[in-house]
Amino acid sequence: MSMKDVGYRFKEFWDDFRKETSGLIGLGILALSLIVVLFEPVFLPFKDVDGNWRNISYWQDSPPAAPPAWTNLFAAEKSATTAYLNDPIVEDVDDPDFGLARVYTFKYNYKYDKSPLDMIFRAKGDGMLFMNLSVIRPDGETVYLGQVYEEGLDGDDIRFTVDTDARSSVYEFIRAHASEEAIANSDSSNVKPTNIIFAKAGADMLSAREPLKGEYLYKVTIPASLLEDGTNRIEEARLIVTGRVSGVLGTDTSKRDIYSGIIAGLKWALFIGLVTSIISVLVGVIYGIICAYFGGATDTIMQFVFEVFVSMPMLPILIVLSATFKPSIWIIIGAMIVFYWVGPVKTVRSMALQIKEETYIEAAKALGAGKWRIIFKHMAPILLPYSFANMALSVPGAIVAESSLSLLGLGDPSIISWGQILHDAQLSGATLNGLWWWIVPPGLFIAIMGMTFAFLGFAMDKILHPKLRTR
Amino acid sequence: MYKWYALKRILRGVFMFALLMFIFSFLFNQVNEQTQRSQISEQVKMESMRLKGMKPEQITAWRDNRTDQLIKMYKLDRPLMERVLFRAVNTVTFNFGKSTMIKSSKGEQDVLDILMEALPRTMILFTLAIVFELLIGIWLGLKKAQRPGGKLDKSTSFITMIIYGMPSWWLGMMLILLFVYVFKLFPSGGVNSVPTPQGFAFVLDRIWHMALPILTLVILGFWGLSFVIRNLVLSTLQEDYIMSARARGIPESKVLFGHTLRTAAPPIVTMALLSLLASLSGAIIFEGIFSWPGLGNLYWVAVQQNDIPVLMGDLAITTGIYQAGLVFLDLIYGFLDPRIKVGGKA
Repeated sequence: MSMKDVGYRFKEFWDDFRKETSGLIGLGILALSLIVVLFEPVFLPFKDVDGNWRNISYWQDSPPAAPPAWTNLFAAEKSATTAYLNDPIVEDVDDPDFGLARVYTFKYNYKYDKSPLDMIFRAKGDGMLFMNLSVIRPDGETVYLGQVYEEGLDGDDIRFTVDTDARSSVYEFIRAHASEEAIANSDSSNVKPTNIIFAKAGADMLSAREPLKGEYLYKVTIPASLLEDGTNRIEEARLIVTGRVSGVLGTDTSKRDIYSGIIAGLKWALFIGLVTSIISVLVGVIYGIICAYFGGATDTIMQFVFEVFVSMPMLPILIVLSATFKPSIWIIIGAMIVFYWVGPVKTVRSMALQIKEETYIEAAKALGAGKWRIIFKHMAPILLPYSFANMALSVPGAIVAESSLSLLGLGDPSIISWGQILHDAQLSGATLNGLWWWIVPPGLFIAIMGMTFAFLGFAMDKILHPKLRTR
Repeated sequence: MYKWYALKRILRGVFMFALLMFIFSFLFNQVNEQTQRSQISEQVKMESMRLKGMKPEQITAWRDNRTDQLIKMYKLDRPLMERVLFRAVNTVTFNFGKSTMIKSSKGEQDVLDILMEALPRTMILFTLAIVFELLIGIWLGLKKAQRPGGKLDKSTSFITMIIYGMPSWWLGMMLILLFVYVFKLFPSGGVNSVPTPQGFAFVLDRIWHMALPILTLVILGFWGLSFVIRNLVLSTLQEDYIMSARARGIPESKVLFGHTLRTAAPPIVTMALLSLLASLSGAIIFEGIFSWPGLGNLYWVAVQQNDIPVLMGDLAITTGIYQAGLVFLDLIYGFLDPRIKVGGKA
């Protein structure tokens, strides 16, 4: 078969295929997911999610178990969303405490009903640093948050969280405004600092807690004298406002962004599904042809081997294999191929038995072609297209099998797969606690992948096996 | 003779099971022996604690002696092939030994007891689900085949494709989320309430617990089945004798049930049972989602507690059921299609 033949056959196939609506939908989704995989960084809010999925400190600035941001649309009381303020206004002003000081100001526009969970100031520092942190509220009040004093920094991280580091300072703010009675009546040591900062000040501020909307200025003040000689430096100053709702698909109890996990898991799902199905179907087709072409004792033995593999329940064996050997994803894929190649053997063998008797095979033999040349050059190219449908239809099975293993906690920990996200959800009782944004998306994406390849497979099946066509 | 055909098929099934057990015991030889050795040392430790009035060196000698004895008993000192064969024979004769952690409800550690406790629960769940799936699947498949390309056929085929790759355990999670925590209609899992009611209330309680797992299996199961049945019936409907039957004015329902379904029955049964068998081997871990203490749930527990003997026993039993299913399939096929059992070509 020349390239021209291939082109012609492909065009013929395409003419049929484009009449199948569902097939085109499948092709569209597949193309879309391939684009997402190729341009993954564009779609990822957390760029380094690969390799950091199980790194707790990578996720420490996110809220735990936060619903998706868009749930605000359906909620009567709007929750603050997570905001990243990366560009502070830097100015040199006269400070009453420090004299001349450099001030980093982050503007945060608060327009929600429920306060953020935390405000986290982060920066990288060199040498010795000293700073005052405070918030100026829309009502003109200033909440002093605390001080940071660090020595001997060498590009180290500076982290100041309102929730833990500013507790006592915020308590001072409560003392200044709330009535004695209210403080005595409430367990004010347990009050969340952000709840106070973002609420109207007053005698009953502890119980009423009305949101104070408007522009908040988070100020970081550093004595200018410190920064003069250049050995002490502060860089990449940024403020993270940790919301009660976060991201496209929320976060899990370990503060991980589920949307990032889903996007990063897509390439693995596609990879596992495609590699497993393509290799196993190729092996199966060649196996079937060899069975049919050689016949006799070879056929009997190969049929017996085939039967042994058919009578093994795949998933239970995979579970036991993974539980005892703790394999990597490559071994898991290999093991799946070992079970999946039997799929097309039977059909291919019976088709090959017919083709074997065709005159052009006889002619090839008469011309002195070897048996492998006949198998690979004359029989395989004719039979392979018929197994394309088979290839597409066995992709979902492979994806689900890997997910099932991961669900049991037997997946490869060095990758992110949707099954593993579900395993974590199952482990921390996500169904029990109603964290639906943790359970629905991974399974839904597995199902969508399955649907995509089912659309493709069924459409191809219809074209390649015209007997099933509806008249 | 059907008798001989059946006997031959059963024997082949048994042989295949034995062969698979041999392969497994070869594959998992190392981990099995590790577990067995640690079990032996545990046992010797326990036994030597009961010894009284012995000097320390006597106890050490006794321990070494006893360990040797046990190692000989389990043939751990023999060559590799003999060990593997010994274990395979043990598995085929359902001699699975003792578990390391898991106990049956009576507190016994015999793996066979644990498995036999779980087996009926899995069987009742899956057989019931299969019956429902078959009934709905055959009905829908016939409806679809009657008007291929019609509205019903197209829409149901579309749904079949949509749910094609949906994992049953995920649907289980979804249904739990919906029916247990939102609508509070069903229990979240288990086989019975605690305390277990008696008499008729027991049966109702069991059904109440089974409803959601069965619903999950059936919702996912019957679509693919009806699609297969549709294709088989459709290809039979294109035969000449169907056209002639219709031309003779035989009522459509009779053509469908008398002529078509009867001829298409053998492959339908095969395809149906084969797809169900495949789904069983794939869906078995979905029991864990419903904490249904069957064989599938046992995989979860055994994996979590790293209980190798139970894991191996579970694998053997699952493989056995799968094998029995395949044999059963061929027996039905031979029964329905007389050409098979006399050795002709189907």
